[in-house]
Amino acid sequence: MRIAVGQGSCGIAAGAAKVCAALQEQLPPNVKLGTVGCIGMCWLEPIVDIYDDDNTLLHRLVRVRPEDAARILKWTQDGEDFNIMDLIIGKDDAQFLTQQTRIALRNCGLIDPESIESALAAGGYSAVGRILSADSGMTPEEVIECIKVSGLAGRGGAGFPTWFKWNAARQSPGNEKYLICNADEGDPGAFMDRAVIESDPHTLIEGMLIGAYAIGAQEAIVYVRAEYPLAIRRLEHAIEEARAAGYIGKNIMGSDFSCEFRIKAGAGAFVCGEETALIESLQGQRGMPRLKPPFPAEAGYWNQPSNINNVETFANVAWIINNGGEAFAAMGTADSKGTKVFALTGKIRRGGLVEIPMGMTLRQVIFDIGGGIRDGKAFKAVQMGGPSGGCIPAELLDTVIDYKKLAATGAIMGSGGMVVMDADTCMVSMAKFFLDFTAKESCGKCVHCRIGTKRLQEILTRIVEGNGRAGDIELLEELCLAVRDGALCGLGQTAPNPVLSTLRYFRDEFEAHIRDKQCPAHSCTALLRYGIDADTCRGCTLCAKKCPVSAISGTAKNAHRIDPDICVRCGACYAVCKFGAVRKL
Amino acid sequence: MSQIHFTINGKPCVCEAGTSILQAAKLNGIGIPNLCNDESVRVYGACGLCAVEVLDDGRGRPVPKLLRACSAKAMEGYAVRFDTERVNQARRIALELLMSDHTGDCRGPCQLHCPAGTDCQGYVKKIAQGDFRGAVEIIKEKIPLPASIGRVCPHPCEQNCRRGMVEAPLSIALLKAHAADRDLAGDTYRPVPAADTGKRVAVIGGGPAGLTAAYYLRQKGHGVTVYDAAAKMGGMLRYGIPAYRLPKDLLDREIAEIERLGITMKNNVRLGSDITLEQLRQEYDAVILATGAWSSMNMRVPGETLDGVTGGIQFLHDISSGEGAVPDLTGKRVAVCGGGNTAMDACRTAVRCGADKVYVIYRRTRSEMPAEEIEIAEAAEEGVIYQFLTNPAEIIGENGHVKQLKLQIMELGEPDASGRRSPVPVEGKFEYLDVDLVIMAIGQKPDAAGLDGIQLTKKGTVEADESTFLTNLPDVYAIGDATNRGASIAVEAIGEAGRCAAVVDSALRGEMQPYRAPFYSRKQVTAEDLADREKQPRCQMPVRPAAERRQDFAPVSPGITDETAVREAKRCLECGCHDYAECRLIRYAQQQEIHPERLDGVKNPSEKERRLVCIERDNGKCILCGLCVRICDEAAKQGILGLVGRGFETAVKPEFQNPAAVEICRTCKKCAIACPTGALKILTE
Amino acid sequence: MECACTKQKSDLSLLAPVLAEYASVRGSLITILQKAQEIYGWLPVDVIYHIAEQTGTTPARVLGVATFYTQFRFQPVGKYLIMLCDGTACHVNGSAAIAAALREYLHVENGGTTADGLFSLSIVACLGCCSLSPVMMVNEDTYGSLTPQSALAIMKDIQAKEAAQA
Repeated sequence: MRIAVGQGSCGIAAGAAKVCAALQEQLPPNVKLGTVGCIGMCWLEPIVDIYDDDNTLLHRLVRVRPEDAARILKWTQDGEDFNIMDLIIGKDDAQFLTQQTRIALRNCGLIDPESIESALAAGGYSAVGRILSADSGMTPEEVIECIKVSGLAGRGGAGFPTWFKWNAARQSPGNEKYLICNADEGDPGAFMDRAVIESDPHTLIEGMLIGAYAIGAQEAIVYVRAEYPLAIRRLEHAIEEARAAGYIGKNIMGSDFSCEFRIKAGAGAFVCGEETALIESLQGQRGMPRLKPPFPAEAGYWNQPSNINNVETFANVAWIINNGGEAFAAMGTADSKGTKVFALTGKIRRGGLVEIPMGMTLRQVIFDIGGGIRDGKAFKAVQMGGPSGGCIPAELLDTVIDYKKLAATGAIMGSGGMVVMDADTCMVSMAKFFLDFTAKESCGKCVHCRIGTKRLQEILTRIVEGNGRAGDIELLEELCLAVRDGALCGLGQTAPNPVLSTLRYFRDEFEAHIRDKQCPAHSCTALLRYGIDADTCRGCTLCAKKCPVSAISGTAKNAHRIDPDICVRCGACYAVCKFGAVRKL
Repeated sequence: MSQIHFTINGKPCVCEAGTSILQAAKLNGIGIPNLCNDESVRVYGACGLCAVEVLDDGRGRPVPKLLRACSAKAMEGYAVRFDTERVNQARRIALELLMSDHTGDCRGPCQLHCPAGTDCQGYVKKIAQGDFRGAVEIIKEKIPLPASIGRVCPHPCEQNCRRGMVEAPLSIALLKAHAADRDLAGDTYRPVPAADTGKRVAVIGGGPAGLTAAYYLRQKGHGVTVYDAAAKMGGMLRYGIPAYRLPKDLLDREIAEIERLGITMKNNVRLGSDITLEQLRQEYDAVILATGAWSSMNMRVPGETLDGVTGGIQFLHDISSGEGAVPDLTGKRVAVCGGGNTAMDACRTAVRCGADKVYVIYRRTRSEMPAEEIEIAEAAEEGVIYQFLTNPAEIIGENGHVKQLKLQIMELGEPDASGRRSPVPVEGKFEYLDVDLVIMAIGQKPDAAGLDGIQLTKKGTVEADESTFLTNLPDVYAIGDATNRGASIAVEAIGEAGRCAAVVDSALRGEMQPYRAPFYSRKQVTAEDLADREKQPRCQMPVRPAAERRQDFAPVSPGITDETAVREAKRCLECGCHDYAECRLIRYAQQQEIHPERLDGVKNPSEKERRLVCIERDNGKCILCGLCVRICDEAAKQGILGLVGRGFETAVKPEFQNPAAVEICRTCKKCAIACPTGALKILTE
Repeated sequence: MECACTKQKSDLSLLAPVLAEYASVRGSLITILQKAQEIYGWLPVDVIYHIAEQTGTTPARVLGVATFYTQFRFQPVGKYLIMLCDGTACHVNGSAAIAAALREYLHVENGGTTADGLFSLSIVACLGCCSLSPVMMVNEDTYGSLTPQSALAIMKDIQAKEAAQA
């Protein structure tokens, strides 16, 4: 029997390492204890899987605490289910996985990320073997053709056809070429790249090897966020293992193909997700985007032809080589092929990583897989594409997941962040949140982004603080369009999207903030008013006692009153009232 | 290399393949606006000002996005434009964004507050360098009568002079008068009019407004005739201002200089009676009305029609037009009602006419008086008696002649719209003053006689458009005291006349360009900011003793010496940006109407630092085009300058290993030369 | 004009192995800065100047790179670096309230260090643990599903541990 503890970053944060340690302490000799990556059911972490010797999953235990270790281990000896009944995953929760189609995440949570044997057992490096095979191998052009047939598009956000970039880099003259993986996952709300590296690093390495072979690169570089220390450790380990096993280095698997691997840790700059900024950063410079053209395929890293894809894109590549481009293209819509991973978070009941074929609706993902909104509240909007994306309102929940269809809503596919919001979320405040982010992350090079995002953020700030002025909406719109059209790189060009899309669907919320000085979601503190409903109030005096500024008056058993001029809107009364008499007005 | 043929703004251009549109434009003699490009360094693409629209990509289709001309390559058949509304809009907002984070301090407060926009800092600097001729040339770009204006102007320039926050403002008006006096005394500067255009303009009224309009229109090559109802030109300068402030021979000489440009001056021609507006419209291509405001306002109290009651302007005019004949007021008691400069002129004139007692009746207190402080003080020195917080209630007569003035006692109430505390009558409290002459100096209004068919305002002034100066009649313009808000100071009329002349000139050339106030980037400065400045006393204008000067109409001040003028001029703090003439940012910003104030927000701090020995860097003026950093790096191969931080707070900072490293800056200075704004200033050692 | 690097006195010999490995490898500046920060805990100005000298570049360029990235610090940090996530998911789930609680409890602003040198507070972009939001990292340890109370409890635990050791 074998016990596998899910130990991605979020599993560890939820206590998986302690669970693992507790299991290790009392481990019977006939039970093996291992680590797996992240299965993507983050709301159930820590997760412990129990396999039999034939590698069949016997039980998936969820929300395991260190003190559960004893009874789990007891079960491995006596098989008495009732002892661990409360830990076994529920049917509803289990459906989270069964409705998915996993390609990029195919090994995540199932294999040991720190063991190349585990990866090999799951078919790792078989695609590299296939293309490099002396008799039945594939030429780089054939690899590119296969990717072309698959319809794989960049999963980092832009959705540009992968084969096209590979081909451009292949066609570019020069012997010194570079293949770069963008693992600088910076979109707040997206974490699939981290999960892939932490859970299945060899799949990334294999995808990159194929890409390097296709374009003719002898060096592959992974640019990883420094905030992902575990991912960096596991990737470093995997590269060492792969080198030792002959998958990295000179004459890979006995072929003419040689490729070296390197990791570069980013140092904290969202703009480095933009490919030319990433190249600047790789060269040890300020991560300020370059003018395009020339594109990296012509003059990239050290001005040599270079190709950059993100982690999820590479994670699909080996599967496509093994299963054929047609198999990948068979999934999805006319415009968008294959699957896409989403990080489902926010006010969602079941938050985690979801990989589904293109063509599913947002409703299916959020409600069928994600289980809908937490605490029975109403769905308001889903934010997709992070700071470059937008919000999609309830009436568009049946939108099909497809690059073009999503773009038509004003949001984007993006890297796959899907932050679900309920009625308590103020959309103006959300727009401000994203502009706070982009203004802070602007590299400062071009005028439109450096000053434009700052001004947008200032206008939004004054609106949520109750100081919005007549004409601010029009000013926002004008400025948004100017920044979109005038900024130098993707960060600036897309920075207005969260504002434009919220203005499109939630304009009335902006107007309420500006004109009526009200926040319809009761979320903006400056606009919040507390009042006591005289009919509901029992006169328990608790609120008056809790009020730090003595703004509440009233005698016992009689309805109380809040003086709005004294009230500092701390919400203490609201939190303490047992009868729901304190209301947000 | 193959040749590319394309057009920019319709002009055919040729360049080699691979050339950027910006570069190709330059090769073909076209300047596309840009701020971050320089041939000595790599293309950067930060400013966004070089946006161009490609209306035809050579295959009959437009390019959907605007392109950055610095990076986009010129392609065969491209129809490139940078004058479309879309491009202008993009450039406008880029400039507004830049200006919203730019503390340029383009022009000093002296110039910003001069109604004529005189480059005070410019001429003061010339004087400081001993170049009086150069100073006059600068002054005369805005003011044709500097010796006169230097004497009579209440100089808002000085009131706003930042030196005032150190110890005392610069004596700007005095410097102007001094430079102009020297000029008149020697080889007088005379601008050369442009070639004749064949267009003819009639100016009605030979006061400061009319003469100024004539002066600038003549310089543009138009034929100008000035008509005036009086016997001599000069208007209020001649008839409304006493000779002790402005000697008339000086005014004569300045007017003669204007006439010498080739302007026809016709006196004793009154509009309406001697010539009609319609006749002038027939005869001239344009008519400018500058008829002034010559009627004193009534106080609307009983007794105004009594013998011995007159208007302030009337009183001054009668004396001035009397060609030196002065009424004898010996033994008389005179009351002047009002607290403005005309009241001061009237009371001081009454003193000089030998009056026994001269009272000034003013309903507020001294600190609210609109007259200039020096006038108030000098009048007091000359024996004028101020009756503050009093207001005429009735002029009491005897046998049809003034005998007594009944004065309502006032007190100060709440501040009014102008910020001054408004006077309120103290119920039932009166005072009586025995007087022989009452002079009403509470304001003037124009006289509508002869203005047939001209639309008037409710105040009875001529209604003229604020930016074209046009009246309701085509090709008839109006300026000065006669228009809109009514009477104001001379330099206001001069400023308006100068702007009007430019509009009329453009209209005569076929395309009227209405006046648009130029955009300037401004800076708020406090006394604290100037705390480190060394105090240097303001030059005191020498004045004759009061006892002596009250006897005659000779000038109160004999003027200053060259040495005093130079010393005074050197007190100038040189607030306005040293780079104004060269600054590309302000040049582009003024090419169109921009309103950066709508994007007002946080600005980067306006700090100056001098770490680069010979270069001063002003962070508030930096627009982060990166040219200095890139030039230091790529062209000068030094890498002393660097960008620090990121986003909105990014700043250019020098950083160096040892002080010797920056010695190279003394001979290089490439960064400062390339700076498109005044952020980097080369210090003269 | 005094050179800024003369005021700080760091033990530059600690950096020798890093420079030996990377100084001549092109494009390694960020790596060198990261290693330097691992050694010193932050980037003292003399270290920056030393790196410039040893890598044949100028202090302006090194400083330009260092100040561009949020990872680099120019002041010493506390023993415990709190990185509170303000990614979208954490934001939606109330990270602002936790930030307010930490600021109030520790008397420290974002980017600052407590007077006793124990804690530094840094509000950071997404840590990628969105489904456990709100999240913070204290040095290498990640804590999820925070409430203001639980965040303060973690602070108090650390303080108690430190007090016991002292």
